[in-house]
Amino acid sequence: MTTHPDSPALSLPPELHAVLDAALDCVVAMGADGRVVLFNAAAQRTFGYTAEQAVGADMAELLVPPSLRARHRDGVARHLAGGAPAVLDRRIEITGLRADGSEFPVELTVTRLRGAEPVLFVAYLRDITDRKLAEAELKASRIRIVEAADAARRRIERDLHDGAQQRLVMLALQLRIARGRVGDGDESAALLDEALAELDGATAELRELARGIHPAVLTEGGLHPALRALAARSAVPVVLQEVPDARFAASVEATAYFVVAEALTNVARHACAERATVVVREEAGALVVEVRDDGCGGAAGAGGTGLRGLDDRLAALGGRLSMQSPSGEGTTIRAEIPCAS
Amino acid sequence: MDRTVLIVDDHAGFRALARKLLAAEGWEVVGEAGDGAEALTEARRLHPELVLLDLNLPDGSGLDVAERLAATDPAPQVVLTSTHDEDELHELARARRATGFVPQRLLSGARLEAVLSGR
Ligand SMILES: Nc1ncnc2c1ncn2[C@@H]1O[C@H](COP(=O)(O)OP(=O)(O)OP(=O)(O)O)[C@@H](O)[C@H]1O
Ligand SMILES: [Mg+2]
Repeated sequence: MTTHPDSPALSLPPELHAVLDAALDCVVAMGADGRVVLFNAAAQRTFGYTAEQAVGADMAELLVPPSLRARHRDGVARHLAGGAPAVLDRRIEITGLRADGSEFPVELTVTRLRGAEPVLFVAYLRDITDRKLAEAELKASRIRIVEAADAARRRIERDLHDGAQQRLVMLALQLRIARGRVGDGDESAALLDEALAELDGATAELRELARGIHPAVLTEGGLHPALRALAARSAVPVVLQEVPDARFAASVEATAYFVVAEALTNVARHACAERATVVVREEAGALVVEVRDDGCGGAAGAGGTGLRGLDDRLAALGGRLSMQSPSGEGTTIRAEIPCAS
Repeated sequence: MDRTVLIVDDHAGFRALARKLLAAEGWEVVGEAGDGAEALTEARRLHPELVLLDLNLPDGSGLDVAERLAATDPAPQVVLTSTHDEDELHELARARRATGFVPQRLLSGARLEAVLSGR
């Protein structure tokens, strides 16, 4: 390391330089005047400067993107004037600037060496471009998995509907035409009535199955009619206090629907409640779904697969599921589903 | 006099059965259409009292067609139908200016009369 005329490089025993150069993380030190006094091998690789180029240069000019420089200098000045050490000794994420002008995400921690005279700040930092990319990819793929599963459910529902259900409908009409042609006293009449009743049962079972896979009324009419249908079927009386008529992305509507469906099932199974209240509203880029009951509360929130499955689905979409269930005061399930609209 | 009906469904098998069923109960089936565009043309040409309209048409939703039929003059009554038979489809149909909804499997002359007279 060479010495700069008016801001000499930190003079360290050569063993210590070797130790710092072996580190995977960048180690960069600067004095109170903002000039670099130490720039280890990892920093040289990461930022694209040699130690000779870096040492003595203004740290902010060298490594901080122009848009962040003023804030950085303010922070240092405030600290030296006795202000609170806002960024010292904790992990922060920020943008770094390479020699070629490109910017990249870094995580770093800065410390002020106790008792060092003159003042010495040391930053330990690393390039987290790969991690950021991986995180973004993971997020996108989780959303895609939920969307693909929803699309598959819609497809199965549609296939059932266009296939078996359609055939059963035709069969019902044919039987009813035949029934219309035989007199009530006829022996065949009773057989046809039995066949029609049997068919009614089969149709109802198939409809239940299809509805559990994906409710057609949700695709057809959106959340409002779909939630009305859920409320009407609920064993506990349900007040739909507020539900938007607007349409949302299919996975957002499906998530909101499944939250209400599971919550109402839970109310009927676990809460001993008199009634449940459902509120769905759009708030700051999210669809917020709340289901309250006036039952026993005290839900531990573990054990079952219902809430866990919803939690996974919401996490995948970047949303949140929370439950409040004070003993004796009822339970509130709240889901926030990100939606761009 | 027999009441007149236009049957709209992309499924020829359903149209044929519905025709038989309704004819047996004294309805006059004046025409059939396989999609929404054809439904609008035929309704203007034939002036049926009633259009029995499938919810899922190859060229879009029956709900949209119902709204457009309601805006023609004279406007026919529109009863939506579907192989789905969720109760909520009644409300959905009425919200879009149709008279009502009958699940396909429960279709009959008597059921249509009931919907038309608001029962
Ligand atoms: N509204 C509620 N009131 C009281 N307790 C509740 C309520 N909702 C959930 N719980 C409690 O939380 C637990 C977890 O609910 P979760 O829906 O995950 O599972 P589950 O309903 O028991 O089973 P599954 O949903 O897998 O069929 C329930 O077992 C129940 O003890
Ligand atoms: Mg449950």
